[in-house]
Amino acid sequence: MSSNSGSEFTNDSSSSTEAEKPQIEPIRMPTVEEIRGQDIWNNCAVRSVASGVMGGGLGLLMGLFLGALDNPIMQEEMTARQQFIYTAKQMGSRSWGSAKTFAVMGLIFSAAECVVEKARAKHDTTNTVVAGCVTGGAISAKGGPKAACVGCAGFATFSVLIEKFLDRHD
Amino acid sequence: MAANNQPGALDKEQIFGMAEKEMEYRVELFNKLTHTCFNKCIEKRYKESELNMGENSCIDRCVSKYWQVTNLIGQLLGSNRPPM
Repeated sequence: MSSNSGSEFTNDSSSSTEAEKPQIEPIRMPTVEEIRGQDIWNNCAVRSVASGVMGGGLGLLMGLFLGALDNPIMQEEMTARQQFIYTAKQMGSRSWGSAKTFAVMGLIFSAAECVVEKARAKHDTTNTVVAGCVTGGAISAKGGPKAACVGCAGFATFSVLIEKFLDRHD
Repeated sequence: MAANNQPGALDKEQIFGMAEKEMEYRVELFNKLTHTCFNKCIEKRYKESELNMGENSCIDRCVSKYWQVTNLIGQLLGSNRPPM
């Protein structure tokens, strides 16, 4: 209604000065398919699974890197090939464990942030703080309540710093 | 009585007038709804071009409440006309 009248006005002005200005495109309302495609990212489950997969990938890379840096126990009996296989197995197990941890972290963080943001209907740093606290507490819950509190505070601070760094980058 | 002479033209005029008023009312409602929910839900500092999830759910709630309020007030206005 108001956008249609705006597009008519734009078409008139652009056709009169088409030699000078590039064609201004009229406002186009999104189709149902576009809305549905964008709505997938509003689903908390899809978002958290995607975040978990990305976390798993990141954990895999980090585990490979750190596992390669680890020096194996140098035994003179092993040939070069055996050393290589031993190192590869160690890298593999290290990266798999790291990938699982990071995937769980990404999943919990993304799910908590999504749920909190949907409930509050606001985009704030409070969402990041709460999500970070939940993730940190869940990961270090095995050490008892005190470890959970420390993990909560630490991970929340870390999340806020990362978020501020990413925002400034834009 | 006077309308019986040319019933077709007057009725058409009335219908056109009512449709025009209805169209104006609808357009006004749409514009007011858009402006209200935009001012309420979206921050002025635009950090990105896509809508966040928080803004999305805020707009959903805003539109739903606005629509309910419109319907409710319409019913209240229609049912008991207060004596002026």
